[in-house]
Amino acid sequence: MSGFWLILQKDLYAEFRRPESVIGMVFFGFLLLVILNLAIPLGSEISPETGAGILWVTITVSSILGLSRTMSRERENRCMDGLLLSPVSVEALFAAKMAVNVVLVLLAECSIIPLFFILYGDGFFTSLPMLVLVVVLANVGFAAIGTLFSAITAGTSRNEALLPLLFYPLVIPLISITVKVTSMIFQGAAVADYSSWLYVMIAYGCIFTGLGFLLLDHVVGE
Amino acid sequence: MSDFLTVKNLFKEYEGYRALRGVTFGLAKGDFLSLFGPNGAGKSTLLGIISTLVSPTSGQIEIKGFDLTEEPEQFKKQLGVISHHSLLYDHMTALENLVFYASLYKLKDPEKTAVELLRVVELYPRRHSRVGQFSRGMRQRLSVARALVNDPSLLLLDEPYSGLDQDAAAMLTEQLAELKSKERTVIVVTHNLDHGLNSATKVGILAAGRLVFMEARNRVDRALLEAEYLRHVQGDGEA
Repeated sequence: MSGFWLILQKDLYAEFRRPESVIGMVFFGFLLLVILNLAIPLGSEISPETGAGILWVTITVSSILGLSRTMSRERENRCMDGLLLSPVSVEALFAAKMAVNVVLVLLAECSIIPLFFILYGDGFFTSLPMLVLVVVLANVGFAAIGTLFSAITAGTSRNEALLPLLFYPLVIPLISITVKVTSMIFQGAAVADYSSWLYVMIAYGCIFTGLGFLLLDHVVGE
Repeated sequence: MSDFLTVKNLFKEYEGYRALRGVTFGLAKGDFLSLFGPNGAGKSTLLGIISTLVSPTSGQIEIKGFDLTEEPEQFKKQLGVISHHSLLYDHMTALENLVFYASLYKLKDPEKTAVELLRVVELYPRRHSRVGQFSRGMRQRLSVARALVNDPSLLLLDEPYSGLDQDAAAMLTEQLAELKSKERTVIVVTHNLDHGLNSATKVGILAAGRLVFMEARNRVDRALLEAEYLRHVQGDGEA
C-alpha cells in the first residue's frame, strides 16, 4: 500500500474512532441553518441566490472545524516528524491530507445539504448530479487551501484562530463562484449557462493543489 | 575506516545565527558516538540535519554512499530516530502505531515486524492498549521499537533519557547496548556524561556549533572528558 493510502486510512480510521471533526461540522452547520432560518419571515420564500448563499455560508463556516484538525493531529508528539522521516514523499502526504479533508467535508455535507432542503424548501432541488459536481469541486478547492494553511498554522500556538484569518480571504473568490453556480442550478438553468464557471472552479482547485505540492515541504520542514 | 557516515563541512544558519560552523566527522559501521555539549551547542541541529528534518545551509552528508540531497529516499531508509518526542499517535494502540510506521517503509509483513519489536521492548502484553495510556518510560520503549521498524543502519538519539525515571533509563541503556552488539551505527546526543559514556565507542564535544573534540572512547577517561567539556563549554562565549 502506498504512503498516500496509508495516511488516508490512518486519518479516516482516527475520525471513525473519534468522529470529532464530522460531528463538530454537522452540529455547527445545523445550528447555522436553523438560526438563519429563524431570520426568514414565516410563509415567505427565499430567492435561489439567497438560498445558495445560505447553503455555502453554512458549509464554509462549518468546514473550517474539520480542516484544522487533520494537520493538528500530527502535532501531538511531533508525529509529523515521524511521517517526514519515513520515505513517503511530501506530495503523497499533502495529497492524503487533502483527500481526508475532502472526505470529511463531504460526510458533513451529506447531513447539512438534506437539512437545507428540509428547512428552505425542496423547490431548490432541481438537479442533483450538477449539485453534487459543484459540491465536489468546491470541496477540492476548500481542501487544497485548507490543508496548506492548516499545515502552516499547525506549528503555531493559536492555530484554530489563525487558520480562518488565512483561509477565508483566499476562498472568497471560490465561494462567490460556487454561490453563483449553485443559484443557477437552483433556478434550473441549463448546464451550458454556467459550465464556464465550472472550469474556473476546476482551475482554482488545480492551482491550489499544485501550490500545496510545491510549498508543503517548506511549510512542514524545520 | 570511517566510510559509513561522512559529514563534511556542515554549516547551518538561522537568520544570521550560526548554529553549526563547519562540522566534519566520519563514522565506521558499528561505531557508537556519544556527542556531548551544553544547551545551544548545535547538537539537536546536527541530528536534525542528519535525520533530514532540517536542511543544512551548506555541507555534505553521506550514508553508505547515499547523498542526503541527491538521494533523500535512500538516505531516509537507513535512518532510525529516537528523540524526547515519541512521534507516536496517542489515539492508536501500540501495535497499530508500529504497523503503520512499518507499512510506510513498505515492509513485507508489517504486523510480524511490529509484533517482534513489541516483544523486544517488552510491550507485547500491552499491544492493544492506546499509547495515550502509556507512562513516559513505556512510550520511550515503544519509541525505540518505532525507530527500529525499518531495521536502520544508523540510529540517531536526541536526548533519549530526557524525562525518564531510573528504571526506564536503565532499560534504555540495556537496549542501546543491545543495538551496539548488532553492529548498528549509533549517534547519541546528550548533555549527560554518565548516560552518554555507557555504550560509546567514540566521544565528541560540540560547543558553539563546532566539533571541538572527537576521540575513541578507549583513549578517553571520564576525567579527561569532563576537563575537555568544561574547557570548551566555558570557552563558548569566546568562540
